[in-house]
Amino acid sequence: MTGVEDLLQTTPLLIVSISGLVVLVIDSIFRNGERLAFWLAATSLLASGLHGLYGIGETGTAFSGMLTTGGYADFCAALFSLAGFLTLLLSRDYIGSRTTDRGEYYVLILFAVAGMILMASAADLVVLFLGLEMMSLCFYVLAGFTRTSFAGNEASLKYFLLGAFATGFLLYGIAFLYGAVGSTNIDLILSSASHLRDQTFFLIGLSLLLIGFLFKVAAVPFHMWVPDVYEGAPTTVTGFMSTGGKAAAFSALLLVFAPRLASQIGPVREVIAVIAAVTMIGGNILALSQENIKRMLAYSSVAHAGYLLTGVVAANGSGSTGILFYLAAYTLMNCGAFGVVALLESREGGRTSFQDYSGLSKSSPVLAGLMALFMFSLTGIPPFAGFFAKYAVFSGAVAAGYTWLAIIGVLASLISVYYYLRLVVLMYFSEGEHPVPAPVPLAYAALLAAAGAVLFLGLFPSTILDLTATFF
Amino acid sequence: MDLFDIVFYCFALIAVGSAVVVVFSRNIMYAAFALLFAFFGIAGLYVLLQADFLAVTQILIYIGGILVLMLFGVMLTNRVVDVDIKTGTLQIVPAAILAAVVGGSLSGVFYSTWSTVSGTPSDVATTTPAIGEMLMTSYILPFEIASIILLVALIGAAMIARRKT
Repeated sequence: MTGVEDLLQTTPLLIVSISGLVVLVIDSIFRNGERLAFWLAATSLLASGLHGLYGIGETGTAFSGMLTTGGYADFCAALFSLAGFLTLLLSRDYIGSRTTDRGEYYVLILFAVAGMILMASAADLVVLFLGLEMMSLCFYVLAGFTRTSFAGNEASLKYFLLGAFATGFLLYGIAFLYGAVGSTNIDLILSSASHLRDQTFFLIGLSLLLIGFLFKVAAVPFHMWVPDVYEGAPTTVTGFMSTGGKAAAFSALLLVFAPRLASQIGPVREVIAVIAAVTMIGGNILALSQENIKRMLAYSSVAHAGYLLTGVVAANGSGSTGILFYLAAYTLMNCGAFGVVALLESREGGRTSFQDYSGLSKSSPVLAGLMALFMFSLTGIPPFAGFFAKYAVFSGAVAAGYTWLAIIGVLASLISVYYYLRLVVLMYFSEGEHPVPAPVPLAYAALLAAAGAVLFLGLFPSTILDLTATFF
Repeated sequence: MDLFDIVFYCFALIAVGSAVVVVFSRNIMYAAFALLFAFFGIAGLYVLLQADFLAVTQILIYIGGILVLMLFGVMLTNRVVDVDIKTGTLQIVPAAILAAVVGGSLSGVFYSTWSTVSGTPSDVATTTPAIGEMLMTSYILPFEIASIILLVALIGAAMIARRKT
């Protein structure tokens, strides 16, 4: 039976979804409710994040074994809340200057975070699927949030059609797994893997589920939607999709393709390894020739999905810990990078090409400095968080005997040096005229906090690595 | 041939006959109304098989929801009533292959399970109370999440369809 204890155990989820409902009501009752709605949304995300960190110690299940609580779930909840919080701070002025319905924007961000939390804490495939749908629905709408923008509409429609298609794969996979195992409970599926690993329907189910996930994390054969959607969507939304959305998809992927499953089913593991390699190489090579920053960041996020998949292939504690650390670092640095792009973007969506950034260090030294920091971290240069993130997943792969994959990863990140640092060189060593963007205190605060955290995680990676190591 | 068989063949005839009309009708309104009878026939078959929950959802969702939506779509679309819809046959070879494969596998399943199915369904308790109880106890969380998802979809649809402000 469910009761108050179940609700208390799932506090982050409860805070976020209830405040989503309250914000919706506030926005429709009060004519000038935007300010109240914004602060309520921001506070609730902060509260759910802090509560997630606070609750990590106590693990358990809630709602008749539908949700896991504490530990992994709460860490991920804190991470998604952080992504949502940063996005909210960065978007208030960005969205406000482009459309008049900011209230719905906050509501959709909150519900997207609630969906992500459900994905990471699912103990049952039904809950995982519902969480994924909740998040995806919010993203479809958010991608086309600036309704007068043609590119935004295109992004929204494209994402919706392909996303619905991928959901079909995922759901079909769940149906096959249910047929093979007789239950949708994730734990039961994982523990029956040892005697079902040669059964056709079980493997078909796993493969279909994997395809659905690979679409959501944008791994290479399923990445076609990424550049157009990331370029067309409002920049702050792109930042949120590429960090929170990717983190949620990976946390769910890690729940199902957990080390104890991946280490038992060899073929699936080999397939993921090949896809990881192709994703790392393909993403980086495609990013090389981009002239638009948003498209470059889109392809780079494909490449990062490849690095993260390396941790899944490793199927050991080090790889899984590495993934969580990587997700935290990636959330901070990618939210930051997209935040800078959003601040510099013109209202019509222009000023997002590489050339528009030349000589930026003279007109806006702070933004240029922050962007350079995020670029260094994305490249994986010490002492920033990005370095330890890559180090952690690659060392996991080496420990599991996948040295070739780690080598490909290192070579692929060498390619990425070119396009990340090209931006830094343009900002610092060439000339250009720029309108100085209006100062936006909230967005600057978010960017500075993200940059500080990237540096902190780079200097003291053990703060998170020690914490996440207790989950596996 | 007892009463059960007679009723079964009646419903089967309704379902198959209306489905044929849906496919071959040249008028889209006739096709849509024929679909209504096809759904009704299927719902009747569910009742005969004592799948009460399925029968009710079939009527509520397919006839009450989807079909009404389709009829509205047809009626609100300009001049669609008197437009001839194409009912010719295209791509005969791929269609024949696909139909043969689907038909073959269906009849394969039919013959391989034929012997294990007994003549009439045994008396089973109604399924609706059990499903309702499950939804309110062990599946309460997915049930509630689904309602939030519907809310999000509503907000999203209203957002996108709203007039430019």
